[in-house]
Amino acid sequence: MENPQIPRPRPRNLVLLGCVLLVLLMLGAEGLRWMRSAHAAAQPSLAGAVRGGPVTLTELSSTHIPAPHGMPSAHASSMTPLPGNRMLAFWWAGSRESGPDVKVYASTWANGAWSAPWMVASRESLGAALGFGVRRIGNPVAWTDRDGKIHLYVVATGLGGWAASRIAHIVSNDQGASFRVRRVLPTSPLFNTSALVRTSPLALSDGGWWLPVYFEIGNKYPMLMAFDAQGNPTSLARIGRSTSTLQPAIVAVSKTEVRALLRDDSEARRMQHAASLDGGASWHDLPALDLPNHNTSMAAIRLSSGQFLMLHNNAADDASARSVLRLSISDDMRTWRTVADIAKGKAGDEFSYPTLQQVGDELHVTYTWQRQAIAHHRYRINAGGTI
Amino acid sequence: MNLPDLSTQMLYGRLGWAIVLATLACALWRRSAPMSRVALAAVMALSLAAMALPGALSPAWWLGLAFQYPSGLLVGCCLLRLAERWNGFRRSQVMPQALAGVLVVSGALLYLDAVGFLARGFYYAGFGQAAPLLGIAAAIVCVLAIVRGHARGPAAALLGALSLFALLRLPTGNLWDALIDPLLWAWAVVALLAAALRRTGRRASDRLAEPESDPVPAPGSAPGLRPLAAEHFSSLKE
Repeated sequence: MENPQIPRPRPRNLVLLGCVLLVLLMLGAEGLRWMRSAHAAAQPSLAGAVRGGPVTLTELSSTHIPAPHGMPSAHASSMTPLPGNRMLAFWWAGSRESGPDVKVYASTWANGAWSAPWMVASRESLGAALGFGVRRIGNPVAWTDRDGKIHLYVVATGLGGWAASRIAHIVSNDQGASFRVRRVLPTSPLFNTSALVRTSPLALSDGGWWLPVYFEIGNKYPMLMAFDAQGNPTSLARIGRSTSTLQPAIVAVSKTEVRALLRDDSEARRMQHAASLDGGASWHDLPALDLPNHNTSMAAIRLSSGQFLMLHNNAADDASARSVLRLSISDDMRTWRTVADIAKGKAGDEFSYPTLQQVGDELHVTYTWQRQAIAHHRYRINAGGTI
Repeated sequence: MNLPDLSTQMLYGRLGWAIVLATLACALWRRSAPMSRVALAAVMALSLAAMALPGALSPAWWLGLAFQYPSGLLVGCCLLRLAERWNGFRRSQVMPQALAGVLVVSGALLYLDAVGFLARGFYYAGFGQAAPLLGIAAAIVCVLAIVRGHARGPAAALLGALSLFALLRLPTGNLWDALIDPLLWAWAVVALLAAALRRTGRRASDRLAEPESDPVPAPGSAPGLRPLAAEHFSSLKE
């Protein structure tokens, strides 16, 4: 009696089967993702605008945010509103810039006063959560999403100086009391280094936001990372083609027209400018504004009146690059007129890295005061007058 | 733009760096003595154990600090190199010149763009909607290469990197990061330079071996003399 021959699968057929199954699995995973993803890019939100007409500003208060004990250096504040006309501020403080003890601190503005500061991120806390080392901590930028979660973006460097920076995205579900690390944002193919944040995000119509980002190894250029309403990144793009601008302050002029005011690192020393006419899908550089910019950061917002406010350093003949902090206003983002110098000192003084937030009819301003503290000014915005 | 979970990234980082570190350690092994399978397994086990150490004790802490995550293709190529050593292959087929050439050119364009000289947005396209389609298309090409037996090893490494990207979006959610990183790019540059040097060396030795007068008879005219032709002009003989 003959044994029946059982045909054995040939190794080549098994390899083919395995490969085909793997490709089918990949196709399935990509198909599922595609069905779940949003396919239309959101446009900038103009919610709250436009009440129309000129406005006046009346100063309500001027103070310093309480500094953490034993931290003589403070810089790079960011604000985000909380429910009930409250405000949450973040900044870094430590013994010196880039020092190992630099941490990000927060404080809440409520009932006309700032709370005692508390620590929200350090290189130790970020390193432990990320599973790899963080060498130094830098600028924080905050955003409150429509569910009330606070998204904080913190510059955290790898091996090297600020040019080796990455951006850690951390989230709070309890109005800033505690934070959980979500991820390091992927921004560059060069070991994911040299991406930083400094300026405030801009709201989008779908509940998402744009986070202004910039690159700085040798060349410096601005970028924009878009997030959906849940805080997941949806796209990353470069702003213009310049190689000597950074820290974009983004303002929506209309649902399709967006402007970016840019810190200038070139010999021109003028405030640089870029625009998008398709809701941020593409950007082109514009001629520099007729405003000096000696490599300093600025902040800009669109008021609910429809006018644009900018807080920027104005380097006059008798001043140094950061010794005058000026509030300017514009109807069209091209021509600016001075409202007031909200901080003015002698050459060598520093009032820098400003941030603006409008909450109801109040304008909140914070900035770095002499690298020692974060100053806070509050103004009432009155409709009907002229600034 | 779909990004991987941080926990998945952390696991990938530790495993990936363990494989890369083990490959580097094996590369430092004496070339004259082949590495035994026991030694290879010990190196791999040590590397994995080191990566599993907590916090700053782990090399993954420092490698992540400097380089973040290795690309999927770098991990795949390192795995392939380890497999070659396991099977006792002395001559590596991991980085054929065609693959090295593609990596060097695409990496150069990508990095020039990333540092701001080109402004073409190559890296951003790695997050775009076309990236998954490109990844699937490249995976199908890899499958064809594997089935037909063309450059099976590199094709398998590439297929592995593409499947990690498609299934888990590792390492970062960007297709470029699955396919290239500066370390792999440097490997490709070195491979191409080494190949160019070998070619130059061969040409030089061929020129030395060529007769300056009294040319060698054309092949076929006197086949019996051919093996002696080179020896005839050897300085050792004289």
